[in-house]
Amino acid sequence: MDKPYPNDYYKQLEEIQAADFVLVELTLYLDTHPDDGQAIGQYNQFAQYSKQLKRAFESQFGPLQQGSLNSSPNVWEWSKSPWPWQI
Amino acid sequence: MNSQPPPFTNVKSYVPFRGPCDPCPPIGRKYFSTPPSLYLGFQPPGLPQFSPADALRKGTLWKVFYDYYDNPYRKGAGKPRG
Repeated sequence: MDKPYPNDYYKQLEEIQAADFVLVELTLYLDTHPDDGQAIGQYNQFAQYSKQLKRAFESQFGPLQQGSLNSSPNVWEWSKSPWPWQI
Repeated sequence: MNSQPPPFTNVKSYVPFRGPCDPCPPIGRKYFSTPPSLYLGFQPPGLPQFSPADALRKGTLWKVFYDYYDNPYRKGAGKPRG
């Protein structure tokens, strides 16, 4: 399907990026502050949220990363276009 | 953003010594960036944060570390902000 993706694709992707960025920042913070419970709570909340966003995105638009589920049993979707730099 | 101006400047500058035999034309004032992380030391817990969408745009989760960069050598941006 080569038609450009609906706007929702980009919105969901940006939401995933924002959640993952928060996880990266919190990971770096928690590396030096292992006993900050509030940050750990926030980390778990965003980890769960990010997993949920990715599950919804992948069921709709295909695998996001190596190791994601391949949704259709007879078509290998990982190498299908569009590639990340084409979207 | 925090209302009161930050106690430090994000960009500092100096003028290198110009000798009579310098081969290249002078750059004049040279700038270097001094981000907030230099002044914070060990990060205290519970600092105010940006929203996730803002954090993605601004490049940091915590408001205190936000460091706007503007090329001081560009004509228009002669006066370094902050």
